[in-house]
Amino acid sequence: MTATSAQQWPPKPPRWVSDVGWRTVVGGLLAGGIIHILATFAAPVLGSGNAFAKLRATLPENAMVVVPPVAPGKQILPYVPPDAMYAMCRFDLTAGPVNVTALIADTGWVLSMHTPQGDNFYVMPRQLLRRDEVSFTIVPRSPTEHGRSPKIAGPTDSQVVSPTVEGLIVVRAPLKGIAWQAETEAQLKRSGCTQVKG
Amino acid sequence: MKLLANLIVNVMVFLALAFGGGLATAWYMIEAGSPLSTRSFGPWTAWTSAGRPEADPYTRAHVFRNGLLPLSTTLEVAFRAKLDSTGSRLTSSCDYTLQLPDMAPAWWNLAVFDGQGRLISNPAERYAFSSSSAARQPDGRTVISVARDARPGNWLPSGRASRIVLVLTVQDAATAATIHDEGIMRSLPEIKRERCR
Repeated sequence: MTATSAQQWPPKPPRWVSDVGWRTVVGGLLAGGIIHILATFAAPVLGSGNAFAKLRATLPENAMVVVPPVAPGKQILPYVPPDAMYAMCRFDLTAGPVNVTALIADTGWVLSMHTPQGDNFYVMPRQLLRRDEVSFTIVPRSPTEHGRSPKIAGPTDSQVVSPTVEGLIVVRAPLKGIAWQAETEAQLKRSGCTQVKG
Repeated sequence: MKLLANLIVNVMVFLALAFGGGLATAWYMIEAGSPLSTRSFGPWTAWTSAGRPEADPYTRAHVFRNGLLPLSTTLEVAFRAKLDSTGSRLTSSCDYTLQLPDMAPAWWNLAVFDGQGRLISNPAERYAFSSSSAARQPDGRTVISVARDARPGNWLPSGRASRIVLVLTVQDAATAATIHDEGIMRSLPEIKRERCR
């Protein structure tokens, strides 16, 4: 008898399983679906570890800052390419437009603009530019505009519309080697981000 | 008494399905991704709409929760690998070789991180190679060794972290187009395990 029980396959489910009604299972799955959707949409709202929140404390408003070289324990953000230097500006358009100037010197150099949610709404890579130096003004979006796709820069852009009042400008400058660090840093320091006066 | 026990069982099952199932599947879709929001090419996986304003909710939650600041995948794609080409977990106790084809004029960067996206401390203070810093073979290929101890050529130290993650960032319109139009990616390297300690 014992030997017969040991060989029984598939094993008999516990008795409580037969007490579970089909309405409970269907209701549980439906509620699970709702919780899945709520959790997915709530994650960006409830989380505090996003890139903008991390950088907000360290970056002054409307000023371009060359970030110290990336090293263990001194990373600005996770998974960023480490053999590059970065200049960053936290812009705020509450008091008006912001002027941006930057040097985009070589292949791999790129200027990007991000919303606090991490959306990259504008990007300017070196290979699309005819000149090294770029200059433009960021203005807030009017309530009637509904641009969605990220815009890749044209060489003559003089005004960029930001979908949010606050955001980040990042200039990434890949390093060819440690010998180029001082030169790259000097080039990055030519970038600027200032509130338009008057 | 039997009715009460029955009620308790049903409530417990309902809560397990609702909260356990709902939260666990949301966590999986946000952290690991699925074919709805990612594309895989061998060991490499990319979030197809990372950085884009019209990104799906899973991608937006992934970017936000992990503190990432990606460029739009219409310009640049970050491929992440946690496994080698045989499907084994990448670890710093093994040595790996990657052969990157000539991707000119694209700009690329290969970096090694620990499982949380942090750089791994190493005496050589080297954490990445890029198309502008790596030495190339005469035929244009780039061979990179990921290993704990020094290797000749392009040696990328994996330090003494347990699990490692390789991130290959490619800034190239053709690569970006491939991940969106279901095309075949030809230029991503195999991650070949050489030996383990």
